[in-house]
Amino acid sequence: MSSTLQQLIDQPYKHGFVTDIESDVVARGLNEDVIRLISAKKEEPDWLLDFRLAAYRHWLTMPLPEWSSVAYPAIDFQAISYYAAPKAKKKLASMDEVDPELLRTFEKLGVPMHEQKALAGVAVDVIFDSVSVTTTYKKRLAEAGVIFCSLSEAVREHPELVRRYLGSVVASNDNYYAALNSAVFTEGSFCFIPRGVKCPMELSTYFRINTQESGQFERTLIVAEEGADVSYLEGCTAPQFDTNQLHAAVVELVALERASIKYSTVQNWYAGDANGVGGIYNFVTKRGLCKGAHSRISWTQVETGSAITWKYPSCVLEGDHSVGEFYSVALTNHHQQADTGTKMIHLGRNTRSTIISKGISAGQSRNSYRGLVQVGPKAEGARNYSQCDSMLIGDRCAASTFPYLRVMNESARVEHEATTSRIGADQLFYFASRGVDNESAVSMIINGFVKDVFTQLPMEFAVEASKLLGLKLEGSVG
Amino acid sequence: MTAIHANPWLASLLASHGSLAAPAVSWVHELRRAALERAHALALPGRSDEAWRFTDLSALYRMAFQVPAAADLPDIASVVAAADASSAGTVLPAGLEIPEAAYRLTFVDGMLEPSLSNGHDQRGIRVISLASVLADAGHPMHDRAQALLGSEASDSDADALATLNMAFLQHGAIVVLERGMRLDAPVHLLFVSSRPDLATHPRLLVMLDQGAEAHLIEEHVARHAGASCVNAVARIRLAAGARLRHARIQSDSQAGFHIARCLVDLARDACYESTSIAMGSRLSRLDLDVHLRGDGAHASLDGLAMIGAGQLADTHTFIDHASPHCTSRQLHKVVLAGNAHGVFNGRILVQPGAQQTDSSQQSRTLLLSGRARIDAKPQLDIFADDVKCAHGATVGQLEADELFYLVSRGIDPAAARRLLTFGFAADVINRLGIGSLEQRLRERVLAQTESLKVGA
Repeated sequence: MSSTLQQLIDQPYKHGFVTDIESDVVARGLNEDVIRLISAKKEEPDWLLDFRLAAYRHWLTMPLPEWSSVAYPAIDFQAISYYAAPKAKKKLASMDEVDPELLRTFEKLGVPMHEQKALAGVAVDVIFDSVSVTTTYKKRLAEAGVIFCSLSEAVREHPELVRRYLGSVVASNDNYYAALNSAVFTEGSFCFIPRGVKCPMELSTYFRINTQESGQFERTLIVAEEGADVSYLEGCTAPQFDTNQLHAAVVELVALERASIKYSTVQNWYAGDANGVGGIYNFVTKRGLCKGAHSRISWTQVETGSAITWKYPSCVLEGDHSVGEFYSVALTNHHQQADTGTKMIHLGRNTRSTIISKGISAGQSRNSYRGLVQVGPKAEGARNYSQCDSMLIGDRCAASTFPYLRVMNESARVEHEATTSRIGADQLFYFASRGVDNESAVSMIINGFVKDVFTQLPMEFAVEASKLLGLKLEGSVG
Repeated sequence: MTAIHANPWLASLLASHGSLAAPAVSWVHELRRAALERAHALALPGRSDEAWRFTDLSALYRMAFQVPAAADLPDIASVVAAADASSAGTVLPAGLEIPEAAYRLTFVDGMLEPSLSNGHDQRGIRVISLASVLADAGHPMHDRAQALLGSEASDSDADALATLNMAFLQHGAIVVLERGMRLDAPVHLLFVSSRPDLATHPRLLVMLDQGAEAHLIEEHVARHAGASCVNAVARIRLAAGARLRHARIQSDSQAGFHIARCLVDLARDACYESTSIAMGSRLSRLDLDVHLRGDGAHASLDGLAMIGAGQLADTHTFIDHASPHCTSRQLHKVVLAGNAHGVFNGRILVQPGAQQTDSSQQSRTLLLSGRARIDAKPQLDIFADDVKCAHGATVGQLEADELFYLVSRGIDPAAARRLLTFGFAADVINRLGIGSLEQRLRERVLAQTESLKVGA
């Protein structure tokens, strides 16, 4: 039985290829001069350079975080190139002007842009390495008053907005990798939905890490003003490399009164080969602030890639009656490690949060849920429900659950549940006796296991996520 | 070293170490000396240690205690009721007696009080004082005690508090049941603090040989309202098929400090059932580590911490499924009133190869006050696939519909709240399986719920 399962889950990475585009790479190493160079290349105002330098100086004083269950060789931060941009080209007005090589890359990924365009009006801000190459649907969004552009563009066009919100949720000295990001971030997206506007389409960014040995440090900032509503999609794939790549992004969400932000991620970065060689280190800080009353922030993530995934999309529920949600599927195989979860910080009255986490571990991988539900003394009537289920496939993998519950208010109600299960020979036998082959049986069991999370994904993303799990766990059996 | 001198608590302990009676045998001397040496070098736990993140020992570190020396006579008068002078030598006051118990060892301020004890020292069943075994190299249990203590010397390396206990190794109890021996009636180990300002380091060694069965009550009480410091270590070893029920009652003084570590090893098909109740102490901490080392072993760990203003109760449990086909069950309840602070950390580890493990854990916390606070952390670490593991944790107040039901039957709301609070706590007490003890604790819980401003 186990060999069949192993075959099912031993799908090689299908998206491994390196696109040959000339990159403008800054020499390796990190010091204040490199930060000044990055800032100068991006023609940034002084306050942003100061923000970077303050973060860098603080970062130098911080110890490496060692509390997680992930293990990896020490990262040489001086061996990383902190800036890589496709060589400066003319601004592109239409898809025809996009590098055909780049278009072919997306073709191979199965997400060609023209199809994306056709798909229910999704605007795609393509991040190819660190610089925004093209942004579509800008006009339609502009009509609605929505600003959706690269962060560097936002720094030029809307400096006052960026300055007001950048670092307001994840401070530049928040944690080791957030500080590093604050010092050297080169690209990312900025999204601003003005008061009362429901974003006319789902916003989407496709990230790719391309230049070998260039760590990527995106920074995403999404602000929804009073009564605004937005759904943001982030999808990731990466080419197959032998050297580990560090990825330390920061995502900040701000929801004002009655605003709603839904942030969905499908992540399938290169996880290393079957022996655990190579793969991306994904050390991300994602946090949303429900600043206004009745605001809502919802994280949905499907994590299938990366050698190491280390992230905790969190919600700070500051506004009264605000709502935080976290829906997660994390799949690990071979030697992958995932230490992921969420923090729900209840500060306001009658705040509510829901956590649904599904971890699937196979091979010799390690999958951990680590979460915090904290109810502050003033959070009258706070309510949390958490469910963390693990599925183990094979006897060499590991699943852990580390939920922290801190409650300082008597009227709060906090519930946590966790279970483990597996795909057993008896289940497969039952399916077989009903005429269902192993491949379909595994797919059905997995899909049933993650159903609660997948129903939260936007329609077209749910399809893609299903495909991804399929790639990882099903595939060509006999 | 610098850190140690900055710490009045450790300094006071180390200063009084010299007043300990010199041990009669050299290996005890060696164990103590080695532990003392390690204690000098070890860092004491602080808030930056994950295991002590929520429990701040700095209040303890600011206090100074004395270690009772052989010359200090315990204050028996404060232990036994002064009412009946004629029987004062042999009878415990009704509040402490457990009539069901077949054997009893009473320790007053850490030292065995023979007049309040009736142990047993015959082949087959031993319920005896550790000090007498350590002092007598010819005692049949001497070698076994040496083997068990010696094996622990290396285990406790990382734990500064257990190491300190070893450095003060002298008093405590040994319970040994040889193969197939079954005790129908419980063994009562009573640790009474008669005076404040004393630090005791009781040690308990329990060894049940193959198929043996026992029921142990380990009870810690204080007859004063001052601060004392208990740093207890229990080491329990259950051979194949052995079965132990272990009731642990901690009702030390509300100003006291109680730190306890209990290490349990289970061989094949052995069974360990523990019920620990924490109601006393300003700060109490229980580390209960259970290792299921043989196929088919079973452990059940139930706990109740019921505390009020100014108190902290911390329970850390670790269930180590090291073998296949083992089962474990756990129910831990916490009731917090006033500005009480509860901490629960329950870790379940399923080691590689421990297939067919069946483990479930429930943690329930009842907050009775807006100033109370709980830090709960149930933890699952699973390294095998064919397992059934579940844990659940809830934090909340009394169920509104349950209250409504009682009120609809004409019970006034304050009484209804007390009734539900009592029922919540009594659920664990009723698992003790000793009528008189259950009754005594139920009365205590009832008194506590009466005094709580539950309805406020």
